[in-house]
Amino acid sequence: MALTVDHYLFLSAALFIIGMMGVLIRRNILIIFLCVELMMTAVNITLVAFGRETNTLYGQGFALFTIAVAAAEAAVGLAIILMLSRRFRSVDVDEFTILRD
Amino acid sequence: MTWDALIFYLLGAVSILAALGVVAAANPVHSAIFLILCFFNVAGIFVMLGAQFLAAVQVIVYAGAILVLVLFVLMLVDPDDLPEFHNARPVQRIVGVLLGAVLLLEVGLAIVSRTVMGQQGNATPELIALVGGNTQALGNVLFSQYLLPFEAVSLVLLVGVVGAIVLALPERLGAGSPRRGTISLGHPRGADQALAAGPAFETPIVQTRLEREEAASLDGSRDLIMVSDPDEYTTIGKRGRVR
Repeated sequence: MALTVDHYLFLSAALFIIGMMGVLIRRNILIIFLCVELMMTAVNITLVAFGRETNTLYGQGFALFTIAVAAAEAAVGLAIILMLSRRFRSVDVDEFTILRD
Repeated sequence: MTWDALIFYLLGAVSILAALGVVAAANPVHSAIFLILCFFNVAGIFVMLGAQFLAAVQVIVYAGAILVLVLFVLMLVDPDDLPEFHNARPVQRIVGVLLGAVLLLEVGLAIVSRTVMGQQGNATPELIALVGGNTQALGNVLFSQYLLPFEAVSLVLLVGVVGAIVLALPERLGAGSPRRGTISLGHPRGADQALAAGPAFETPIVQTRLEREEAASLDGSRDLIMVSDPDEYTTIGKRGRVR
């Protein structure tokens, strides 16, 4: 059974959906952040797999940009999480209702 | 089954199990460590796809930098603040799993019934080996066609770093913490008596007769008044009241 691009796409879809389920299920904002990182990595697998399929390097270039943006997102997101946990004494997303109320 | 497929299934199975561990672990530190395991396996998948440079970047940036940052933040968050996993709303869980299953079904159907193929490029494995490897080939693409996005990404990283510093340290950048202190409005013995009938600028708020009598009845002992802001007392101007 030869390895095709579809295998990689299925793996990527599984990882992305596990990350999405984590975002939907968990209430700890740190776990939600980790799940978002997992989803980004899954998208990178898709990009590289399609690049492999079409014999181009553009997929890998895009994945590299995604990783750089994810690093910036991690810095800003963790700073926001730190401020939220200082201000509300909690990391539970259900308690962050200051914009809703 | 070839070795390729065997290694792929091994890496894929471990990465999916680790991803499930990220979602299911009750302790956030365990979640972060499961995610590191998942990222290492994804790096292996990148190597299988011929993206060696990306695999190295994945290990260095994700497993090395981002996850260490997450673990530091986990240390700074009080463990008492972490919500328990097991009091999550059951409806939320059921809907989450259901939506995930539906989406997996849809995406699976889309992958199986996929007919569109991209235009074939010329970066075949033989040509990449001729250029000098994956890193050289990717560098050629990055610094010729993708030069402007590359520079833009460096700006994004700079803005991200500045934004993180501004968000994490508001006190030092002028937001200011509320002043707290106690001021004693006690006067030396005898001064209170003079103040009760004293000059107007000492008591800016017009006193009623009752308040004046109350003030006069004070025997000169020191009143200790706790305020969060020193200006609050003088603008309200009721002497002798503990607020």
